[in-house]
Parts: sequence; C-alpha cells; structure tokens
Amino acid sequence: MKKVLLLLSVFLLVGCMDDDIISPIDDIVEVPESLQIEDVQGLKVESTIVSDEVRMNIKLPYTGTYRVKIRDISKNLVSQEKLDANEGDNILKVYVSSLENNGYTLELTDDNHDIIGIASIVVNN
Amino acid sequence: MKKILLLFVSVLCTLNVFGQTDAKLDYSSVNSVTKVGDTLEVKFNYFKAKDANGADIDASLYQFDFQYNNKLLNKISSTWQPTSTSAQKAINSWNGYKFNPDSNKDVDDYDGQYTYWLGSDSSYPTNSDWSVERITYQDVTALGDGSEIIKYKFIIKDKANSNYSNYSSILNANWVNLKKSDNTQIGVTKGTSNFNLSLSNIEGGDAGNVTLTILSNIIDDNIGDGTHFTYNVYNKSDIGAGNQVNEGASAVATGTYDASGQAVVTGLENDKEYFVWNYADQSKDYMDNVVTVSDLALVFAEAIGGGNSPNGSTTTFDYYIQTFIANIFHDEAFDGKIDFQDSYEILAYLQGVSSDNTTYITYKGRAIQSGGNESTFGTIDENGSYFAGIDATFKPTDSNKSFNFVHALMGDVNFSHSWEPDTEGTAIPTSQQANASVARMSMAAGSKFSGTAEEANLDLTSELKDGLVEFTIGSQVEEMIGAQFNIIYDRTRLVLDNVIFDTGNTMTNFSNHIEEDGKINIGSFDQNFEATVKTGTPYKLIFTPIVQLQNTSGLITFKVNEGVKADGTQINFIME
Repeated sequence: MKKVLLLLSVFLLVGCMDDDIISPIDDIVEVPESLQIEDVQGLKVESTIVSDEVRMNIKLPYTGTYRVKIRDISKNLVSQEKLDANEGDNILKVYVSSLENNGYTLELTDDNHDIIGIASIVVNN
Repeated sequence: MKKILLLFVSVLCTLNVFGQTDAKLDYSSVNSVTKVGDTLEVKFNYFKAKDANGADIDASLYQFDFQYNNKLLNKISSTWQPTSTSAQKAINSWNGYKFNPDSNKDVDDYDGQYTYWLGSDSSYPTNSDWSVERITYQDVTALGDGSEIIKYKFIIKDKANSNYSNYSSILNANWVNLKKSDNTQIGVTKGTSNFNLSLSNIEGGDAGNVTLTILSNIIDDNIGDGTHFTYNVYNKSDIGAGNQVNEGASAVATGTYDASGQAVVTGLENDKEYFVWNYADQSKDYMDNVVTVSDLALVFAEAIGGGNSPNGSTTTFDYYIQTFIANIFHDEAFDGKIDFQDSYEILAYLQGVSSDNTTYITYKGRAIQSGGNESTFGTIDENGSYFAGIDATFKPTDSNKSFNFVHALMGDVNFSHSWEPDTEGTAIPTSQQANASVARMSMAAGSKFSGTAEEANLDLTSELKDGLVEFTIGSQVEEMIGAQFNIIYDRTRLVLDNVIFDTGNTMTNFSNHIEEDGKINIGSFDQNFEATVKTGTPYKLIFTPIVQLQNTSGLITFKVNEGVKADGTQINFIME
C-alpha cells in the first residue's frame, strides 16, 4: 500500500510542475541538415544564392544580445539587426527584397561587434 | 689628215649632242583638293626638245606609262586634250602592277627607263596597290610646246581603308617613249611643275575606331559602373544654343559605355566636329541619393554668403562649375546667381514637398545631365560664361582618336555622383572666395566624402520589439548641423507607421516617404548653421509587420548616411 501511495504522490507532484520544466523538448530547435553547425558557435545560411529570403542558423555560445550585419562588396554596412537570442542553434531568416542584386557578406557579432560567424550571400531577386 | 678630220667631226657631233635639251613630260594637279571625296584632276603636258641651235625637235609618237596608287585614288575618267583629227590615240590600263625602275638610271631619265623597260622582263612586278596607265598618241602633226596631252580625274579615297598613313605617294610617271617621225628616240626628262605629285593635309575620311571615355564618381566610387552611361554623338552643326540638339536632328552614333566607362565608336569622319551628349541611367536607385543635405548645406552657405558670378565679389564655392550645378531654380535665364530660392527648393525636395516651380534637381526618374570635355570642364570664358566649361565637342583626326568626357548631374553640388574638376582654370581663386566671417563650406577636405571621416559614433539597427519593427539611428556625433539618412525597407513585409525625431528643438527635420518604392529619406538641417543634431537616438522609425516575423535581418537597408558640421566639414560615417 505504501508503494502505491508513494507512486501516486510522485504522479501528483509531477502533475503540478511547470510545463517548461517537464517539457524541455519544446526548447530544442530542430536544425535541418543544411543548417547544422558542428562548432559551438557560428553562422550558416541555407543557400548562398538568395531570392527574397533565406533561412540561417546562428549558433550562439550563450544567451544574449547579438547583431546580424549585412555588408556590401566594400564591406560597408548596409543593414543591421539587433536581436536577443538563445544559446545554441537559432533558426532565423534573412530578407533580401530591399537589397540590390549583388554579393554581400553576412556577419554575426556579439553586441560588442566581435565576429562570431561570417557567410557570403549573393542576392538574385 | 684623215684622223684630224675624223676628230673634228666627232667633236662637232659631240657638241651637237651636248647642245640639245631633252623634251619634258610634266604632270601636275589642275585643282586643289582638301578632303576625302574631292576630285583630283591631273594634266600631262609635253614640252618639246631643242636641238643645239635651240630649234624645236618635233615628235610624232608620244607614249608614256604612269602609275597611280589605287588605294588612295579612284580613277573616274580620262580626257584627251589634242583636237587633231588625224591623231591615233590609245589608253591601256592594268591593275595590280608597279614599275620597278632601273636603279642604274635616274628615275627621271624617262627615255632611259623606257629603254630599260623594253629589255626587261621584271620591270612590272605585281603590286595590288598600284595601277598602270599607258598613253599612246601618234600624229603626223606634231604637238606644240607645252601642249596638254591628257587629263585624268581621280577621287581621293580614304586612307583609313589602306595601309598608308598619308597621301605623299599617289602618282608618278614611269617612262616615256618619244620618237621623231624618222623613228629616232628623243630624250625625255621630268617637267618643272609639281612633279612628284603628292597631297598633304587631306582631311576627312572614316575616322575608324574612336574611343570615348566617360568619367564620373558614379564609376570611380563604385556607385555604379560605365554600363550605366550611354552616349549620343551629333554633328556639331546640329547643336544649338545651350548645347541643345536642334529640332529634327538625330544622332550619328549612339551606344552604351562598357563597365570601365569606355566606348569604341565607329562611323565618324576625320577632321569633322562632333558633340556628344552623355547620359547616366536615370532609372537607377542611386539617383535619389544625388542631392542630399550636404548639397543643401553648400547651397545655403552660398546663398548666405552672397555668392554671385565668377567675376563678382565673393563666393563660398571652390569651383566655378558649382554655381552652374547649384542653380537648380532659374528665376530667369541662367544668371549664375545662387540665392535662397535655390536652397529652399532643395530643402523642399528633401522634405518631399512638391514645388510648383520647375527645378533642375536630379532624382530617380529625372536626371538633369551635364558634362563636357575633361580638359575644359568647369572653366569659364572671358565673359564668365559657364557654357565654355560644359562643351563636349570633339574632332577625330589622324593623330587623335581618343577623347575623355566628364559627367555631372544638376544639384550635385558636392560632386558625390559627378566629376569633380581637376584641371587648371576650374578652381575659384582664393581672392574671390568669401572671407572667414562667412560660413564657407569648403570642398577641399571633404569632397567626394573621402577626406574626413567620423568613425563608429553611429549605430543603425533594426529590432523586433513588442510585435513592431523599430529602426533606430543612434548618434554620438556632436556639432552636426545637418544629417541625412536614405533608408529602404521591405514594403512586402513592413508598413511604415511613424517617424520619431528627437534632434533638438530648433532643427528643421525632414522626411520624404516614397511609399511605392519602400523608401524614406530622413534628416535635419539648421539653415542658420548654429543648432546641432542632438546625440542619443535622434531618429527612430516604427514599422508594423504585415507577415509573421521571427527577426528583421535585411528588412531595412540604408544607402546614404551623411552629416555636415557647422565648419563645413562633411562627415562620412563609418559604422562597425
């Protein structure tokens, strides 16, 4: 009987816990093979030639504020996003409709502008 | 005694022979020719030989060969000149031969060369550049002294289609067979006229490949490339007042420059004047970046400083041509005066306010083009006219088939998308520039945005916040009396909701939203050159997403980020 009560208590206790704690699987990002990064941090785009938009993976060493920068051929900054992101893989998008057809570099930096990852894209709208 | 007599006779004979003078074949041009296509008329005259006593030696057979360069002359006709009805005449022609004279005889020893020709089987080797004419005239009635035998007409051909660089060798006589009625040979030598017929200073003809080069900061600063420029070449005679093309005239050559800014034009003629209009592609997005707050500042300073004609008292500009480019409002015929009307029209343009006035401001879809020869662009004439410096006339010649042209856009006072003059006579002397008490917007340090750069004090970022997209411009730049940012956003995903200025109480702020292009130009300017843009976050744009967004990378891009300080320093922001 004691065993039955103990088992029941465990079930009740588990039932009252926060979902986030009991469902860590929800925070695990499914990373498509094309965006997988083996290193602990980095930047990867799904396709180098881009029309309209492309998925990217920014893999981060810790949760915090980061920047995604787009630079032209002369390395002039033409676009910059500031975002808060989680440690590990973050599947996001780069939108290129407002960019002229050209070659660009995509930079992932921390908020102090230290580069974490870099990739090349060619916009072909 | 026999020997003495023989010697005497021999001496007499010798004296007789040496006392004779040869006949002469003289050929010369009847008319003067100056250009390709002209008709050259050549006459052949005969002058009688004289015996030892000075008496005429008549001939009954007149025969000679001459040759002409068929690459430079096109034979069109020959006309006998003697009118004798008893004469027998013949003309023979051979193409593709050239006389190879006897090198042991003078080439002007025509009867000697004739003798040589008779006995030689190699005196006329083939040569595709030359043609031979043989003239034969026989008559019982001797020709008079100085008689014209025959006239030829030739068209001057374009040497561009040949391997010849000039017209110095076009026609010469080869030999002459002149005989008396008893068949005795008469000595013949050259005449006294323009014997070695040659032509100089022949103009015209196909100019071949003429290279035009277009110079612009659009190319130099990689804003675009040479393929964004086209050319229309007109006959200079089709250009009227103000370098405008006369009604009904059409271009003789048109085309597009290559990426480097060069074009090879064919179909033009040597020694003929042309005028080229060069056009930048006005559909390019960067045309909206040509006239900015930096140009506005220059024009305001000039208006405040009382700038006037180049020969007037003072100006704040560095180059004469800036007055022409800055004169975007013509209240009358161009007078070279920059006043507040010009500056307020630019301010209105930056604010996106439609003006009822016709202005000469360049923007996308309406590029007001100018330019000229590189060597004279921006100069003025003795009357102070700017049109001397925007002349794009050129004339191909044998020695010059390459021409450099510069391009300028009206309203582009700081030459960000135009060519900055760099030749003598284009800069305004210091004595004509405003004194230090006038706010002088010197181009010297900051023209083309390359001289002075402020680093890293600007932070332009987009961010997803509470379901909205915020674009903020953070600035720590002080003493900035003007600033402008041209921003492009993805209008398929964003709608602009609000523009928030926090630039200070006295700044004149502007925003020009071109919704159909997804563009917004924002900025500030203090026309008194006193108030400055507040540091912090002077500008913020709020967008509402119309699609679900996880992040904002690439949704908002920026093209023009520039500022102006009160001392005239132009700022090229360098952002990390």
